[in-house]
Amino acid sequence: MNLSVRPILSALLRNRTGAVLVAMQIAIALAVLVNALYIVMQRIEKMRQPTGIDVDNILVVSSAGFTERYQPVPSIEQDLRYLRSLPGVTAATATNSIPLSGGGSAQTLVTQPNAHSNDSMNYFEVDEHGLDALGLHLVAGRNFRHDEIQPPLTKAEASRFVPQIIITRALAQDLFPKQDPLGKQVYDSIGQAATVIGVVDPMLGSWPGMIAHPDWVFLMPRAPFTEGGNSLIYLVHTQPGQREAMLRLIETHLSSSNPERVVHFVRPLRYFRDLVYLGDRTMGIYLFTVTLLLIAVTCLGVFALATFNVSTRTKQIGTRRAVGARRADIVRYFLIENGLITSTGILVGCALALGVGYWLSMQYELPRLNLYYLVGGVLLLWAIGQLAAWQPARRASAVSPSVATRTV
Amino acid sequence: MLKMQDVSKIYRTDLIETYALRGFSMQVSAGEFVAVTGPSGSGKTTFLNVAGLLENFESGSYQLDGKDVRELSDDARSHLRNQRIGFIFQSFNLIPDLNIFDNVDVPLRYRRLNAKDRRERIGSALDLVGLSSRMKHMPSQLSGGQQQRVAIARAIAGDPAFLLADEPTGNLDSLMARQVMDLLEQINELGTTILLVTHDPELARRAQRNVHLVDGQISDFRAYEPRAVGAEAGGAALA
Amino acid sequence: MFAYYARLSLASFRRNPGLTTLMVLAIALGIAVCIMTLTVYHAMSGNPIWWKNDRLYAVTMDNWDPKQTYNHDGSLGPPPQLTYKDAMHLFSSDIPERKVVMYTVDAVISGTGLPAPTRVETRLTSADFFAMFDVPFLYGSGWSGSADTPPQPVIVLSRQENEKLFGGINSVGRTLRWKDHEFRVVGVLDEWMPRPRFYDVNGGSFQMPEDAYIPFAWGKDLELLSSGNTDCWRPEKIDSVAEFLNSDCIWLQMWVEIPEARSRERFQAFMDGYWAEQRKAGRFERPRDNRLTNVGHWLRDRKVVDTDNRVLVGLAFAFLAVCLINTVGLLLAKFLNAAAVTGVRRALGASRRQIFVQHLVEVGTLSVIGALLGLGLASLGLAAVHHMYSAAHLGHRGGYQELTHIDAVGVMWAVILAIAATLAAGLYPAWRVGRLPPAQYLKSQ
Repeated sequence: MNLSVRPILSALLRNRTGAVLVAMQIAIALAVLVNALYIVMQRIEKMRQPTGIDVDNILVVSSAGFTERYQPVPSIEQDLRYLRSLPGVTAATATNSIPLSGGGSAQTLVTQPNAHSNDSMNYFEVDEHGLDALGLHLVAGRNFRHDEIQPPLTKAEASRFVPQIIITRALAQDLFPKQDPLGKQVYDSIGQAATVIGVVDPMLGSWPGMIAHPDWVFLMPRAPFTEGGNSLIYLVHTQPGQREAMLRLIETHLSSSNPERVVHFVRPLRYFRDLVYLGDRTMGIYLFTVTLLLIAVTCLGVFALATFNVSTRTKQIGTRRAVGARRADIVRYFLIENGLITSTGILVGCALALGVGYWLSMQYELPRLNLYYLVGGVLLLWAIGQLAAWQPARRASAVSPSVATRTV
Repeated sequence: MLKMQDVSKIYRTDLIETYALRGFSMQVSAGEFVAVTGPSGSGKTTFLNVAGLLENFESGSYQLDGKDVRELSDDARSHLRNQRIGFIFQSFNLIPDLNIFDNVDVPLRYRRLNAKDRRERIGSALDLVGLSSRMKHMPSQLSGGQQQRVAIARAIAGDPAFLLADEPTGNLDSLMARQVMDLLEQINELGTTILLVTHDPELARRAQRNVHLVDGQISDFRAYEPRAVGAEAGGAALA
Repeated sequence: MFAYYARLSLASFRRNPGLTTLMVLAIALGIAVCIMTLTVYHAMSGNPIWWKNDRLYAVTMDNWDPKQTYNHDGSLGPPPQLTYKDAMHLFSSDIPERKVVMYTVDAVISGTGLPAPTRVETRLTSADFFAMFDVPFLYGSGWSGSADTPPQPVIVLSRQENEKLFGGINSVGRTLRWKDHEFRVVGVLDEWMPRPRFYDVNGGSFQMPEDAYIPFAWGKDLELLSSGNTDCWRPEKIDSVAEFLNSDCIWLQMWVEIPEARSRERFQAFMDGYWAEQRKAGRFERPRDNRLTNVGHWLRDRKVVDTDNRVLVGLAFAFLAVCLINTVGLLLAKFLNAAAVTGVRRALGASRRQIFVQHLVEVGTLSVIGALLGLGLASLGLAAVHHMYSAAHLGHRGGYQELTHIDAVGVMWAVILAIAATLAAGLYPAWRVGRLPPAQYLKSQ
């Protein structure tokens, strides 16, 4: 049997509809596969970005005073004293917003007084237990001291800054490139100064994956603002394995310890972290599932065409066998035929994949499609295509040579 | 009733043209039983396809019931096939997923007859071929001879003027073949014109008239010879 | 004849059960993925108050930093909210038929005979809110304009909040306590779920409407700060509520209802006049950009539909395309495999059209089965998405779950889409098989 491609090709061209359909499926499948995987990998990378925060061992308590008699400062002191007294709790702090939750506060931070800046920097107000409560790593400088913690802002005094701050290494590199940030001065929008006393690394702030630099964060030694119905947040760091037990304990105690105050919720920090990545996770799972189904459907297409080709050519196959083709020759014939179709589809698919990749890069403002993905996708589809044609080809090779002599 | 004049039919491929019929002329009157014989490749099947309006032809004229069919649309030809012509094939060509009743029903469906009318016709056609007890059977449950009788019932259920039979006994053993031929004669006696295409001279002898095809042309007209009534060997061909 | 063809289709399915199952599955999968994606997309991108598209306008003014646009690249247009003083000035105009200025706060509400104090997300707004946005009432009504200033202690509850606080009874006339004031319930809303929440897209357009509504002026009296976004750009000292209200911080949403074009022009002129006056006083240093934006354009400008969703819609259609191409291939293979039977039918007098219709009926039957199965699969898929969004996220506010509802109209469209797409896919194979030369397949089996 002549195994050169030319006769197989000419046979194909005489009967092209089915082949064209399969090639089209393969082309679309390749374009989708490559780009979907690229997006999925980017999402996974984003979700894997280290937060620097001990997400699994932190509880978030949200509460608010609701009567005119509510006294925030003593109330917070009393609550923190209680939280820190619990045996399963290693640290607790009051703060202004929940890290990794998609909601937070930011303010201008510049290196020259009254300089102009396009960027607002994400900040958290904490006390000297803040670093431990978040499980952050101090890589340079020192923590806040107890006597440095400022009283909360009030409506009557809303612009006060703090004398010291701790910043992330990423923010330090932005503010003071290639310099030691310790001891340097930074300024707020109206020119009040603060000294950098410590550097933490790594740390993600309020908006992971939502802004360009979620790791540009700084910590202020100040009790959080609670006027005007604002919610107050406690971050409670628990010992490993104690989180759920502490959650129940804290919920029960705090909801009754102060009648002027209502507890909105006590929740693991992981809840917020998962919520903020929920869109990415859903997108990833969805893309992955649909791509998998797409490949499966395409496989079916290849399989069905090969099966059809075999079943309509039983007699021809028998004749080939009768004139001396070995089983392997028959298998090879069908695999080469399928390979031709798949390759055509893949060729068109490459162009399509690059086109879609270009469009997506415009939409997402992301780097262009990585060509490794294209190479991987091509190899994968080619292999899958051959695999899908394998069984029909084997069946073809099982056709008896006697078919040739049977007339009816 | 059927009149072909100088009909030529050419099969074209990329390289060659083959004349399957070449200046073919023939006339069949109502009620005749004509056998068309000839060796393999002589144009028998082409003749049947053209006569049965399954294929068109390049030149010449063909009149069916006095009407020129050359220029008819595909729809009109389908209609004529359905109303006037019945087919019997060598390989029976029953539709395997339909039971006997539904197989006989096929041409009647395309005629848009009402259900009662169809039921009556199917019943009497199957009665004629002696298979009315097998209505609910599937084709695969019947023997070859029975299948061919179903095919005959299907061909006559629509009460066609013509019956075109293409080697109807080719796939049958001699006993079954004889039963099928008896049936065809019986149908012919009821007034249906029959054109039988075969390569078998034995079968051809049972027709009233034989036409012998060679290379798409009639090689030799044989004289009309009435069949001896009831005689098995009647209609013996003039050599 | 249709019944006959339908019977033939069933017989044909019985002949190739495997192939038939594959085709139905391919169609169903394609349809399911499309329905799922479009359901979510539709929920996120539809204009929930399209019938007022030529009357309702968001009011914005660009008061931002002369050195930079509101967001990084300016792609979101002018700031979506107003400062207090600009909002108050524009609100004083009598040109609009209806007008609202509003924001949200976190309230902690208690009451005698009620369960423990609860947090209630509350919208501070003006009397026109309910009529302007066609908000349906279950009990009572909104408050009258006279309750706006000075603010009367009246409150309107959402249906859900009324369930939670009063077990769903007609609570009109009952009182709720907040900030040492007694608020009287004047109305309870019926189910109201504008998706997206067009009138305030800060903090996510899939958020549900608030749980309670009180007159706007309470905000100033009780010094209530916004629980939504407050954006400031001007370096200025803000050390009192008065200073905050006078600042260039934006935190208020404003909408007007102006049906006539001429009135809109007048209101635009009113805005521009105010802008020029303020500019002379040193504000509004950016180029003039005072806008009235209808809901459709508002949703587009605010980029309510995120890129992910558009990518998913593209993916869904690519998937459907592959499924349909697959179906075309399988149908072609199936029909041509049965060419001999078709040849017999043609010989027995079936016309091309009859053969075409017969096969189209077969495709139609497949598509109906595929559509139903697809609908089932889509519900399963949406349930899975719903699960992903709700599992372990108990009590979270947000309308994610609502995104995954298929409504009756959606179902109808989905089924029509399924059947139309499959029939379109079946046209070619059915046509091809009708064109087969009848004689060729009769001779041998």
